[in-house]
Amino acid sequence: MSFLQALLTNEYYIHLVILICIYALLAQSFNLTFGLGKSFNLAHIASYAIGAYTTAILAVDQSRSPLPCMFWSLVLSGVFALTIAIIAIRLSEDYFAIGTLAFSALITALLVNWKSLTRGVLGIPGIPRPEFSFFESQTFYDNFNFLGLAATVLIVVELLLLGIFSSPYARALRAQAEFEQGALAIGHNARVLRTISFVLASAIAGLAGSLFAYYINYIDPSSFSLTEMVFIITIVVLGRPGSFWGVNGAAAFLVLLPEPLRQFDLPPSILGPMRQLIYALILFGVVFLNRNKLWPRLRRI
Amino acid sequence: MNPTFLQISDLEFSIGEASILNGISCQVPRGETVGIIGPNGSGKTTLFNCISGFNLPSRGRIIFDATDITAVSPHTRALHGLGRVFQNSGVFRELSVEENMLTALESRDSLIRKFFPARSHRAQRRQLAREFLSEINLDAKSSHKAGSLSGGQLRLLEIVRTLAFGAEVFLLDEPTAGVSPRMKEDVAGLIAKLQQRGKTILVIEHDINFIQKFCQRILVLDGGRVVMDGPPDTVRSDRRLQEIYFGNKTQSES
Ligand SMILES: Nc1ncnc2c1ncn2[C@@H]1O[C@H](COP(=O)(O)OP(=O)(O)O)[C@@H](O)[C@H]1O
Ligand SMILES: [Mg+2]
Repeated sequence: MSFLQALLTNEYYIHLVILICIYALLAQSFNLTFGLGKSFNLAHIASYAIGAYTTAILAVDQSRSPLPCMFWSLVLSGVFALTIAIIAIRLSEDYFAIGTLAFSALITALLVNWKSLTRGVLGIPGIPRPEFSFFESQTFYDNFNFLGLAATVLIVVELLLLGIFSSPYARALRAQAEFEQGALAIGHNARVLRTISFVLASAIAGLAGSLFAYYINYIDPSSFSLTEMVFIITIVVLGRPGSFWGVNGAAAFLVLLPEPLRQFDLPPSILGPMRQLIYALILFGVVFLNRNKLWPRLRRI
Repeated sequence: MNPTFLQISDLEFSIGEASILNGISCQVPRGETVGIIGPNGSGKTTLFNCISGFNLPSRGRIIFDATDITAVSPHTRALHGLGRVFQNSGVFRELSVEENMLTALESRDSLIRKFFPARSHRAQRRQLAREFLSEINLDAKSSHKAGSLSGGQLRLLEIVRTLAFGAEVFLLDEPTAGVSPRMKEDVAGLIAKLQQRGKTILVIEHDINFIQKFCQRILVLDGGRVVMDGPPDTVRSDRRLQEIYFGNKTQSES
């Protein structure tokens, strides 16, 4: 316990654990669509961006309080996924992934170019920490308290997901992922099942974006690049797609993994690329080892 | 009472330039078992895909239980009572044997129930799944991954899953392909059980000796057309059957 206390009184470690909470939200929601549903939604990171920007804009430009900000982050990201689903759900696996990549690129372009709303590449500074009427006004300016908030959101979302992962819904989602016609033949509406998974996952990513904006105080489009998407994919693939606890473990492991590098006093210009190289190698290695397992074999009917 | 349960009229289907089905018609009364035979590539599976809704015919109509289902989506047809057992097995291999049963039993539940099943509901479903599985002697394997089953067990599981789902019509596409001779008898036994329950069955098979035992009628397909349609004895003794199956051989011999 004292060890934990020592860890959590160190500002830097608190920072890392908050990041673990945010990435666990992103990865676990991606795990719903990809791990269970085998749908490769590359616009997941765009949902995260929409969540972050919604909170940033509402909190900074409109001085809205945190509950509406988080609510709208969640809802707008969900609506975004619903739009993608309606347009792209007909596409089969590879084409679906490319279609969602196009949506992701579209959101990035909007973030960069719709300057009157997003301030373009300059980003939105000065996002206040959330203030709830039932806490003292400066409570969440303390990172330890903010960690409490992030962990609470994570626990609530994970309890919900834990229930979903073992529900009849998840069973049907896994069934249609393996053999869509087989699921249709026993009355499952595969497209509706997949659409629900996108909307749920995207809403959770939007909530993660909201937390991120509140935590980091300043957001710009670079926080939501494809590199971040690759990181989320790496977490899920390493944690084993579909495995609830595996993905939680991988989120913590991969956020902490580059930390030992800090001992070597490397300049940031080397440290940054090195982290990405490590993640890329892990992703490649795990994908290579699982090359026959990540997607079900296509069955002829 | 209208005795026709499934009516197919003038069905045509083509992929690009190739026409696969060239005007198939047939009527199946409720409770009948119809065997479908024909050489490889004669369009048997394609006919099933049209009935199941996976292929959309370019012409013709499919009427099932007095409803025109020609343009109805596959899962809606299934919910109306059209069951399908696939040629290459439609069992979900990544799911356990029990889960294959459960997901069939659960598909008619409301969306809310699919997310939040009542506790009593859960137990009842598992009990039901166990009962179905014991009919095919797979209750001891209920927690095994379905991918670990033998070819014959996969067939039995898929048929029982379709029964549990509540199908009235069974489209069985080569249910004994890849099944050991001993298990073939089990498949035949299960088909007999479906007949006892009054189910309507269309079964594609190569082995006419195997299906003549339990079919009231046999349909012979060739080149996307129905070339014969009658009781097994009549079809068997028809000279044309030899021509269709051994036509090329006879030609090369002559
Ligand atoms: N998806 C497809 N693409 C191209 N050709 C197909 C496809 N499905 C079926 N065919 C062709 O249609 C014909 C009938 O196929 P099928 O219905 O599977 O025959 P059967 O089940 O009687 O062996 C074959 O010549 C086959 O090559
Ligand atoms: Mg076939």
